[in-house]
Amino acid sequence: MLRTTLLPCTLVATLVLACVARAEQPLHQQIDAQLAAHAGGPLNGPAGDAEFCRRVHLDLIGRIPQPAELQAFVTDSSADKRAKLVDALLASSEHPTHMASVFHVLLTERLGDHELWQAWLLASFQQNKPWDQMVREMLTPHLEDDPARGAGLFLSKRLENYGENPVDYPGLVRDVGRLFLGVDLQCAQCHDHPQVDDYLQVDYQGLYAYFKNVKLNSGAKFPSVAEQPLVSKIEFQSVFLLEKHEVALRIPFGEEKMLELFEKGQEFATPPDNKTNFPGVLKFSPLRILANDLPQANTPGFSRNIVNRMWWQLMGRGLVMPLDWHHTDNPASHPELLDALVREFTAHEFDLRHLVREIALSDAYQRSSTLPAGADANEIAETSYRVAIEKGLTPEQMARSLWTATGPWSDDKQRAELTASCVKSLALPPREPEVEFAPSVKGALFLSHDKNVLQLLEPHDGNLIERLTKATDNGANNAAAIEEAYAACLSRAPSAEERTAVNAFLDAHASARAAAWQQVVWAMLSSNEFAINH
Amino acid sequence: MPCTPHEHLCSRRAWLGATAAASFAASLGPFGAHAVAEQAQRKSKQVLFIWIDGGMSQLESWDPKPHTRFGGPLRAIPTSVPGIHFSELVPRTAKLMEHLAVVRSLCTKDNSHSAGVARIQRGDPKNRGVTYPYFGSAVAKLLGPGESGLPPYIWIKPGSGGFIHQDAGLLGPKNGALAFGDGQPPENLLRPDTIAETYDAERQELRALLNQRYASQHRPTASEANSYVYDMAHALMKRQDLFDATRLDPRDVERYGSHDLGRHMLQARNMLEAGVTFVKVNSYGWDTHHDNFNAHMSLMPKFDQAFAAIIEDLAARSMLDNVLVIALSEFGRTPRINGAAGRDHWPEAWSAIMAGAGLRKGLVVGKTNDEGTFVDSEPFDIGHMFHTWFTALGIDPHKTEYNNHGQPLPIAHDNCRAVEELLA
Repeated sequence: MLRTTLLPCTLVATLVLACVARAEQPLHQQIDAQLAAHAGGPLNGPAGDAEFCRRVHLDLIGRIPQPAELQAFVTDSSADKRAKLVDALLASSEHPTHMASVFHVLLTERLGDHELWQAWLLASFQQNKPWDQMVREMLTPHLEDDPARGAGLFLSKRLENYGENPVDYPGLVRDVGRLFLGVDLQCAQCHDHPQVDDYLQVDYQGLYAYFKNVKLNSGAKFPSVAEQPLVSKIEFQSVFLLEKHEVALRIPFGEEKMLELFEKGQEFATPPDNKTNFPGVLKFSPLRILANDLPQANTPGFSRNIVNRMWWQLMGRGLVMPLDWHHTDNPASHPELLDALVREFTAHEFDLRHLVREIALSDAYQRSSTLPAGADANEIAETSYRVAIEKGLTPEQMARSLWTATGPWSDDKQRAELTASCVKSLALPPREPEVEFAPSVKGALFLSHDKNVLQLLEPHDGNLIERLTKATDNGANNAAAIEEAYAACLSRAPSAEERTAVNAFLDAHASARAAAWQQVVWAMLSSNEFAINH
Repeated sequence: MPCTPHEHLCSRRAWLGATAAASFAASLGPFGAHAVAEQAQRKSKQVLFIWIDGGMSQLESWDPKPHTRFGGPLRAIPTSVPGIHFSELVPRTAKLMEHLAVVRSLCTKDNSHSAGVARIQRGDPKNRGVTYPYFGSAVAKLLGPGESGLPPYIWIKPGSGGFIHQDAGLLGPKNGALAFGDGQPPENLLRPDTIAETYDAERQELRALLNQRYASQHRPTASEANSYVYDMAHALMKRQDLFDATRLDPRDVERYGSHDLGRHMLQARNMLEAGVTFVKVNSYGWDTHHDNFNAHMSLMPKFDQAFAAIIEDLAARSMLDNVLVIALSEFGRTPRINGAAGRDHWPEAWSAIMAGAGLRKGLVVGKTNDEGTFVDSEPFDIGHMFHTWFTALGIDPHKTEYNNHGQPLPIAHDNCRAVEELLA
């Protein structure tokens, strides 16, 4: 008796103490303590200044640093310069632009685009809008006159017809589960999931109920969907079993919510208006209920999903992989760490910027990606985070980095074409999540031969090629120009061997300096080192 | 190499997309992937897959039924193998029967184009809620690009080209088809005039230098994946001759035919000679609901000419021992002749023709009843064909698996088996 009453008390006391102790420690220190405790081997040292500077620019503002930015950081001797750089980048106007592009790809998986959607994304990250509010806006059916009305694209794009195919409701339900809760319920549509004990058919069907009577409001001048009253529960049956089931509204793994029914003709609080394409507001609106109920700290998976995705974004590997495969039998590599991240994220009211900042401040984020001498790569599991994990540049990061390296440029049209061609040639097809680095032959041919890339190598108005050519035309200053080329393209200094090799190459092509520099710079831009965020 | 729990935690593209070599092994599940690759590549197996879109009539090709109720107006002719007859529309192919194998007892499930095309090319596996790869993506994945370094799955088709990721299904977009629309090269393949060959070679050398340095300091996965696609792009660039119609021998052009299918088949021969693992050639327009007989009298001679020419060439070059040739549609056509003198869709009893890669030669497997309406022997589904073809390619369909999120998946329908009569 004594044992049974005392033990829980002691446990609770210990847990509370532990929580308090942890809470006093900044999150980035908790990250490092957790990872160190489970490293299973020596941790790599910190990335060099140049390595860190390139990585953090790519991750926080979506491009490599300019040589002057790199130089300023490397020569800064203050002890807290890394934290200062993280804060400066987070405060820069380029951070919201980059986040908008990251979240555009995450949320649409390149299904489509709309200028109001882009405006909403950008404004959201400029205001550092809390994630729960962003999700609420995306799930609200029709935001007339609201500055957030572009958010409707998340639903409206998925409710369009593709060719002769019917509207893909299962795809929409699947994406809401995957992208907001980290669970892929696709295989639970027709029966309980065959491999995952946690994913039941009722989880799929209950979520589907919210969308059953939702359709595209195609007349509206902005992304909008319309809702008809939901007047009965969803009936379903496993293809394997004969038992019939029904469910009203139910967020996966949550409580069922009963329907409220109104007499025919009385369902709308504000009736639809066909003239203005206003879809009306239901007295009992499943979608508005979802918009309210889903983005909550106590919704299973709501915080975990986005925290894990942000961790993946910066660290190159989710604590839970695949990103949409959260379930009991697929635990996080560091469950306590994930819990700590979730606690902090929730306590900070779903503040994405704070989360990104804390991760970027951790030693783990700032570790070198260079393998320790003599180490066997196979012996160092990615899940240990002992060596920083390489990430592929996204098509958008590639475009912005090519632009930065070869500039300055001023033609907005050229810039837009470069970005569009990078996306066309380097992105995966729509609906393919861009999670892994997946280079293609198409992309290699693009970077080798496409006019949008080759144009960047034409000497023009003080751009990189012109500067390098001028600097070396007199045969005077090869060394400084080689330094500049490496800083501009690879964000580092050349090694002694590289200096010698490039110098020899330039000397061998003394009669065609511009062409020689084009070759050198192209080699850098098409190198693995450039294509990878290391 | 057994799957470890660690592998099961990786996302699908971590093993399927990352690199050719590294992910190849992991994606093949519990059985010896390397053994498969080595064994198969030593023999350099290749595939020519001729897709006859819309549904070729078995009665006007490989299973004629002259003088019967549904036989139609055309005669049957003897082939080079005594006792085997084809329609009179394929005289050239008939003379090559000693190289060929025909299955007359196909009985498949779909009679709509939209579902049938994909179902047949995916081998109609059991529905497990995942999208299976087309045969081309499957073979490209399982056999790899081989020594040529050329993209392993090339599709020559009328109309537009591009990178057709959709074919790859669960294998991930990387294993899709590289399609040459009307045989033309893909975007950006050709070096612009401003880039001379030596200039390009020099810049590639500088690039290699940088890559060497990077590789010596980092994990191999990401940089190998990126180098791999550049190498493949480069291998393809070096074979720009494959797209240059002016280099073709005029006698070949005449033998294959100057029509689309003839030109594409000749290009396919050159691709196979260059070492491409899987070449698919498409012929469209076979959906003969109206005027079936005139349509086949127009279509079949072109097919016959191009098909016979490539079989002759592959045999003459001793390539037929290693190249598996398959020609089929999504279904056959109804024996019953409709009111528009057409034949409709008929998956119940139809034929496919194949050759090479050690398949037995000069035989017909299975038969239909006297009027050709149903199979009158053991019926074979497309799953049986996939088992047979994989086996001929040296890939054991019982021991090789895909690995989808840790879920092992058979590469061919688990209720089917290889057709032993076809295998030597």
